[in-house]
Amino acid sequence: MGKLMIINGSPRAPKSNSKQYIQAFLSAWSGSYEQYSVLQRQHTACLEQLRECSDLLLVFPLYTDGLPSGLMEFLKAMLEQPTAPLTVHVIINCGFREPHQNDVAIDMIRLFCKRGGHKLGSVLRMGCGEAFPTTPFMGMARRKIQKLARSIQKGRSVQLSITMPLTKGLFLRAANRYWLSRGAQFGNSQTQMATMDIEGP
Amino acid sequence: MDLILTDCPLSLLPAGSDLRLVNVAEQAIAPCVGCFSCWIKTPGRCVIRDDAPSIYPDIARCNRLLVVSHLFLGCYDLPMKRLMERSLPNQQAFIRLHHGESHHVQRAVKPKELTVVAYGAQDKEEQAVFDRWLARNALNTLAEHYTIHFADSQAQAEALAGKVVQTWAN
Repeated sequence: MGKLMIINGSPRAPKSNSKQYIQAFLSAWSGSYEQYSVLQRQHTACLEQLRECSDLLLVFPLYTDGLPSGLMEFLKAMLEQPTAPLTVHVIINCGFREPHQNDVAIDMIRLFCKRGGHKLGSVLRMGCGEAFPTTPFMGMARRKIQKLARSIQKGRSVQLSITMPLTKGLFLRAANRYWLSRGAQFGNSQTQMATMDIEGP
Repeated sequence: MDLILTDCPLSLLPAGSDLRLVNVAEQAIAPCVGCFSCWIKTPGRCVIRDDAPSIYPDIARCNRLLVVSHLFLGCYDLPMKRLMERSLPNQQAFIRLHHGESHHVQRAVKPKELTVVAYGAQDKEEQAVFDRWLARNALNTLAEHYTIHFADSQAQAEALAGKVVQTWAN
């Protein structure tokens, strides 16, 4: 395979979990690659670089059950300025426990591939994607991401999934504890965070 | 109240006393930056003070919602998608089980009847992806009773939207 272009499609790219997942990917990647964040907003320059690539890896969080709008904008630019056919790989993460909540967003990427004459390659669907980097389970996620990297390197297409090995009840408790600690950093209590008011009373 | 969100001009709609029409394409709505402030720092309130905070509270409190939107890759196209992303303050950070899956707890969001007039789909496959996307998104917006009308053109979308609003008036 030729060069790989890695796109960070997260709206908070410099501080994103996607960035950490990309780092885990690169720890098992020995081929040549370029990296780009959709926040850089230099899509034309990135599309130029894509001419030298055979593969594209999209790494992004599920946003409103679909693709983040910044990534949609980038994919739109790709369709407007067609590139040579690429193999498109995906690492998608959602904060929910169930990896299948990512499936429609993957369908959107499949549609993108069809429109642009590309081929959908390997996919990793992650549940609990918001929390992995802050827990001991990150090692599990890293190994799965590395497996994806090795498969892409060998030109093999794989469909992988991962979530934390927690029951639904344990996941809810762990997730809500996580968010409470984030709120506490700003002095907000559970009651304040659970306000029913939207834009005030 | 009833709310119409559109990304194209709708000129032939009958006026209603408790009806709000917003052309999202004419609003300044920046993309969500994923800061989660609306969950952890200023709960229920977005820190980006553009036009979105004047719209998402009405998405929460309306009884009937009509969305007229162009599609891109089986989803709302950018103007409507950006607004949906910026409606995150309508949810809490906290997670609950809903239909056996994990979903965010809603704030004061009314269960609503949602009608979508979607135009610009390139083929049946894109319509099917949109159908699946809306089914998932409806779980996260308390709009579990929804209807989709696919239009071949913007003009047809406008006509279909007019019919929907007419049925609301009757």
